[in-house]
Amino acid sequence: MQKGVFQAEVLSNQQIRRCYYRLNLQFDSKGSLLFSSVVPGQFLELDVSSISLPPASLIPEHLRETAAKQVFLRRPFSFSDVIKVNDAEGTVVRVEILYCVLGPATVRMMALKSKDKISVLGPLGNGFSIPQNLQTAILIAGGMGSPPLLHLASYLKHSLPQCRIVSFVGAKSCEDLPFTVRIGNFKGLVLEEFELIQVPSFIATDDGSAGYRGFVTDCARRWLQNHTCDPASTAIFACGPEAMLKSTARLAGDFSLPCQISMERMMACGIGLCQSCAVEVKNAETRYQLCCKDGPVFDARNVIFQAD
Amino acid sequence: MEADTTLKTEFAGLELASPVFLASGTCGYADELAEFMDLSILGGITTKSITLESRKGNPTPRIVETCGGMLNAIGLANMGLEQFQNQMLPVLEKLPTRVFVNLAGKTIEEYAAVARALSAETAIDGFELNISCPNVKKGGITFGTDPVLIREITAAVKKECGKKPLMVKLTPMVTNITATATAAIEGGADALSMINTFTAMVIDIHQRRPVLANRTGGLSGPAIKPIAVYLVSKVYQEAAKDAGIPILGMGGIMTASDALEFFIAGASAVAIGTATFIYPDTARRVIEGLRCYCTQKGFSRISDLVGTLQ
Repeated sequence: MQKGVFQAEVLSNQQIRRCYYRLNLQFDSKGSLLFSSVVPGQFLELDVSSISLPPASLIPEHLRETAAKQVFLRRPFSFSDVIKVNDAEGTVVRVEILYCVLGPATVRMMALKSKDKISVLGPLGNGFSIPQNLQTAILIAGGMGSPPLLHLASYLKHSLPQCRIVSFVGAKSCEDLPFTVRIGNFKGLVLEEFELIQVPSFIATDDGSAGYRGFVTDCARRWLQNHTCDPASTAIFACGPEAMLKSTARLAGDFSLPCQISMERMMACGIGLCQSCAVEVKNAETRYQLCCKDGPVFDARNVIFQAD
Repeated sequence: MEADTTLKTEFAGLELASPVFLASGTCGYADELAEFMDLSILGGITTKSITLESRKGNPTPRIVETCGGMLNAIGLANMGLEQFQNQMLPVLEKLPTRVFVNLAGKTIEEYAAVARALSAETAIDGFELNISCPNVKKGGITFGTDPVLIREITAAVKKECGKKPLMVKLTPMVTNITATATAAIEGGADALSMINTFTAMVIDIHQRRPVLANRTGGLSGPAIKPIAVYLVSKVYQEAAKDAGIPILGMGGIMTASDALEFFIAGASAVAIGTATFIYPDTARRVIEGLRCYCTQKGFSRISDLVGTLQ
C-alpha cells in the first residue's frame, strides 16, 4: 500500500477519562487518497516535535519533570476509527486516535486544538486479514491495545454483517480502560464505544473495579468454555501488552483457533529503514522480522515472545 | 534551456546527480524510499552493512530517543552476502542512483571476501568500509581506532574492489582523527566518510539499567552535528585536502543549512541519516535548499563552496 507524508488538521481533541484522550484528525487530499483503503491494525506516525507544552497546571503531576524532554522522533499510533466524508472537495478521510498521556510526546498532544496542523506519515504496516468465511470474531484487547480492535469491530460489522463479534477488554482497573463504562441492558457493565456499534463487550480488570476480576484472557477463556466455535470459521484478534498477547496465543492454541496479534515495539521510522522494531519469529530465515513493515499484525503461532 | 548543473558533482571518480547521499543503515536498500521521492536526484545511497554470513542483530530495545537525537544498537542485522546477491542486486540494479555497499565483518578476510564477491557487479558503484560500528563485539570499531589496522584493512579491501572506489567510514571515537584519516588515505582509500556515531548510554532510572538491550548504542542526530562539522573541517585541513581525497560529510543533518556547514568545512558531498527516519524525503528538501543557496550566493557549482571556511 502506498505511503506518504502529509498534513492533517485537528478537528477535536477531548479528554475521555483521566489520562485518555480522543483526537480526531481530518486528512488533506493526499492523506485522504493514501488512506482510502486502510484496514484495521494498520497505523500511522505523528510528528509532535514542534507542539508546545500545555500549561504546567494541565500536565499530570507525575509527568511534569519528564514532559520537558525534547521530542525528536515521530510516534506511532493506531486508530480506533476511520471514516470517509464527502465534502465539496471530494472524499476526505477522518481518523480517530485514542491516546494515553504517558510521556513528553503525549503531554504535548494534550495541547492540540481544533484547526491545528500536524504532519502524518502513513498508512503503515499490515493490518488484520479477515477470512471471507469468518463467522465468529473474538476480539481481545489490553489497555491501550484496544483502539485498533474497536476499529476492527466496526469494520467487521460493515464488511461481514453476519459475523458474530464478541469483544473482551482488560485493564489494571476501571480507571485505566480507554473507553466509557456504563451499565448495559442485560448483563452488567459494558463499554459504550462497543455498545454503539452493537458489539457485546466484556470487561476484565486486575483489581475487579469493573467486570471480571482477573486477566482479560481468563475472561475470554471462560467464554470459550461455554460457547461452541468452529475453528474453521472462528478467529481471535488481539492487541495489548506482550504478556497478554502471549497468554492469548496460548489460549488460541488450547482451543485450536487461529489467532492474529498486533505487536508493539519502540520504533523510529515506521517504514522498515531503522531496523529497530525487531520481532523474533519462529519460521523466518533471519529469525527477526520488523514490527513496522512485516507486522504489526503477526500470526500468534509464529511469534517468539520476549520474557515476561 | 540547459539542465541545471549547479549540483552535479564528481566524487571519487564518479559523476553524481547531486552531492547528497543517504547514509548507511538509515535507508535500507532505498527501495522503501522510492515512494517518498525521486531517487534520481540523489548523489547515491549507501546500503546497510553487508557481512559474509547473515546476522540477526541485537535483541530489542534497539533504539532510544535522546535530546536532539537517538541511540541505536541494531547490531548489523542483515541478510548476508549470498542472499544479498540473490535478492537485492536485482533491486539495486534498478535504482536510478549510485549505490555504495557498506562492508562489515569480524576479520579483514571477511571484509575482503564481500568486496571480492561484489567487485564486478554492475548494480554497485562503490564500497564503504565500515570500521566504525560501535554495536558489535568483534570487528567494527576495533579496526577503526588503530591507524596500523586501518592502513592494513583498507589496503587489503582496496585490492578486492576492482575498479570501484572505496570509501572508508571513520569513527569520531579517537584522540586524533587526522591519524586515522591519514592511515585510510595511505591504505588506498578513494574517499573518507565521516562521521559514524558516538558510543553512548541512556539509563532507565527506575530499573537502574541501560534502556538498550545492548546496553550502549551509537548516538546520532542533530546533537552530534557541531562535532561532525568540526571533525570534517579538521580532516579536510590536515589530511584530505592535500591528498586530494574527497570527504562525504555526515552527522545530524536535518536541513540544507546543516548540509552547507559540511560543504564549507570541506566535505565534497553529504549524507542524510537519522533525519530520514522522521521525514523520509529529507534529502529532497536538502537538495532543493542547496540549489537555492548556490543561486542566491552566486555559486555556479556547489564544488566551488567546498572548503571555503574563512
